[in-house]
Amino acid sequence: MGASDAPTIVDPDIDETVDVARPWVVVVWNDPVNLMSYVVYVFQKLFGYSKEKATKLMLDVHHKGKAAVSSGNREQAETDVSRLHAHGLWATMERD
Amino acid sequence: MARTPFRRNRSAGFDVVLEAGEAAVLTRLCEELTTLLADDEPGQTGDPVLERLFPRAYLDPTEEEAESDWQRLVHGDLVDGRRRALAIVEGTLSAAQLRRGRYELTLSDDQAQAWLAVLNDARLALGTRLEVTEDMDLSGLDPDDPDTAPFAVYWWLGVLEESLVDVLSKSS
Repeated sequence: MGASDAPTIVDPDIDETVDVARPWVVVVWNDPVNLMSYVVYVFQKLFGYSKEKATKLMLDVHHKGKAAVSSGNREQAETDVSRLHAHGLWATMERD
Repeated sequence: MARTPFRRNRSAGFDVVLEAGEAAVLTRLCEELTTLLADDEPGQTGDPVLERLFPRAYLDPTEEEAESDWQRLVHGDLVDGRRRALAIVEGTLSAAQLRRGRYELTLSDDQAQAWLAVLNDARLALGTRLEVTEDMDLSGLDPDDPDTAPFAVYWWLGVLEESLVDVLSKSS
């Protein structure tokens, strides 16, 4: 331990560390077709959000063009994206 | 069309009343969606409607491998889910009773969810084909314009869906 002639310490793989630590974010994008009431209903149904929270997220999608609706590891985000797609919402996932 | 086509009934289901012509249009839309899904192969569509119904999960082009893996994993299930919903809607429509020129249907919760999914998919498909925009005013449609009929169907689907979302939201 601590020998001055120790072999070079391998740098931790920064990318891998970041990959594990940073959650994936699921983003829903605005589209001209989906009804506002429907989007609120889907957010409540899929994520169990209150009407207030679901409405705020829908309004963010509508006015800002997109909103982050959930986050988690890659697998959780992929699951949420597929559930949103099954309900016709335009959702993608990205690193936070 | 009845002003509120969907109503919650006393036995925990939903009553639907449709004009004969409305039921015919819905049946045709179901057939068209079923045909569309039959043609679908993941990742090689080029059809804007299929791209809208089955978007990418990863926007980042460097995640192409993850995107392909995800498509392989879920695409079949997403197609099957849509086909199941279509079969439920077609089944309930064909079982509907015609009374005085109107069809009366009763839907369970699960059937109502299938109706919601199909109405939304039909609007997505039609809205994508018609390239609707958010600020499009459908109230001033010209009856002589050949494009008016599909826009009217699109508008009518919105009324139907709004009514169904309304009863589902109140009963949840």
